[in-house]
Amino acid sequence: MIMTNVKVIAVIAVSVIIVIGLGVSFSSYMNDFENSPKKSDDGSQYVELKKIQPLGSTSAPLTILEIGDYQCEMCKLWFDKTRPLIIENYVNTGKANLVFLDMPFLGNDSGPAAQATYCADDQGMYWDYHVKLYQYQQHVDDGWANTERLSAIAFGLGLDIDEFNECMSSNKYFSHVNFNKKKSVTDFGAISTPTFIIIGADGEAKKLVGGHPYSTFEKTLNSLL
Amino acid sequence: MNNSLQIIYSNYNYILITITIFLILFFTLSVISEFLFLEPFITFVVYPETSLSFLLIVILSIFSAFAISMNIYRVKLIKETKKIGSSIIGTVIGASAGACSCGPIAFSIITTFGTAGSIASSFLTIYEIPIRLTSIGILGMVILVTATSLSRECKVKF
Repeated sequence: MIMTNVKVIAVIAVSVIIVIGLGVSFSSYMNDFENSPKKSDDGSQYVELKKIQPLGSTSAPLTILEIGDYQCEMCKLWFDKTRPLIIENYVNTGKANLVFLDMPFLGNDSGPAAQATYCADDQGMYWDYHVKLYQYQQHVDDGWANTERLSAIAFGLGLDIDEFNECMSSNKYFSHVNFNKKKSVTDFGAISTPTFIIIGADGEAKKLVGGHPYSTFEKTLNSLL
Repeated sequence: MNNSLQIIYSNYNYILITITIFLILFFTLSVISEFLFLEPFITFVVYPETSLSFLLIVILSIFSAFAISMNIYRVKLIKETKKIGSSIIGTVIGASAGACSCGPIAFSIITTFGTAGSIASSFLTIYEIPIRLTSIGILGMVILVTATSLSRECKVKF
């Protein structure tokens, strides 16, 4: 009799867990669906892309496209060790410009961190915010990029905090960040961060996977100049 | 213990096995952890910030090589496979730690297992150093226990 009761309770418990699980999955699916790129009148999908000014001259012969996640520690290592030398020797000298494409996959805070950079861009501070995120980076999802901290970073940069918070809470750039993530994988074949696509003046592109040291970038960039 | 090591490594095949296992592990872990880049140029880089992680990889590879080769000898001698299992588990745990940061392994785990994969990946990254130290501890114990038991079993045989 006792065993029968235990079995019944176990079955009920498993059923409840399954129902809750399905509910959470469905809710998550619907949330993604509601925020997915909208359809235009002709039925084709579009996303209102936000044009970000590249770091450096737009007429530079080389473009370095960085595909990254703001919570990726290898991206931070590259940011700290290699990026300053590239900026000094190639961006500041007009030989190359730098573009960043979001591929937020490491944790729950990766997406909002990427969205926050576009909210900062609404007030003209995309690259300043980008730099601050890498400077403040800690471990994945340990709270360093939660909503409050993202607002605090915006406040520290002197942004209009009400406008920034409104942008974040409305998920204004959710679709854009998702679009960038999909583009990173489908168009550029990125399966890890950081991944770099270096495009030469004649359109020739070279792909570097991983946080390569400056010497590798130097050789690659010079070969495309 | 010294006696056991002398017995095992007096056979050059075991020295070869140890060196091979070390090189395979060291190479694999160096590539996964982005100390060694194979494309577009072969580049090896260790920054001061990552030197501890690199040192742990070297120690882990050495300990794994010794633990596995000693246990291969043990298996051949007494057909007992328990300790080789422990050394392989220790190696796998240590190798997994930190190898899941932003690389293709993390991407595969996260895209396949979703939130659970993300949690597992970040756990392995956050606790990289303690996990590697634990694995080195496990492998050290395996080496010690294997050497001790081998010398005891050899004494009994004498």
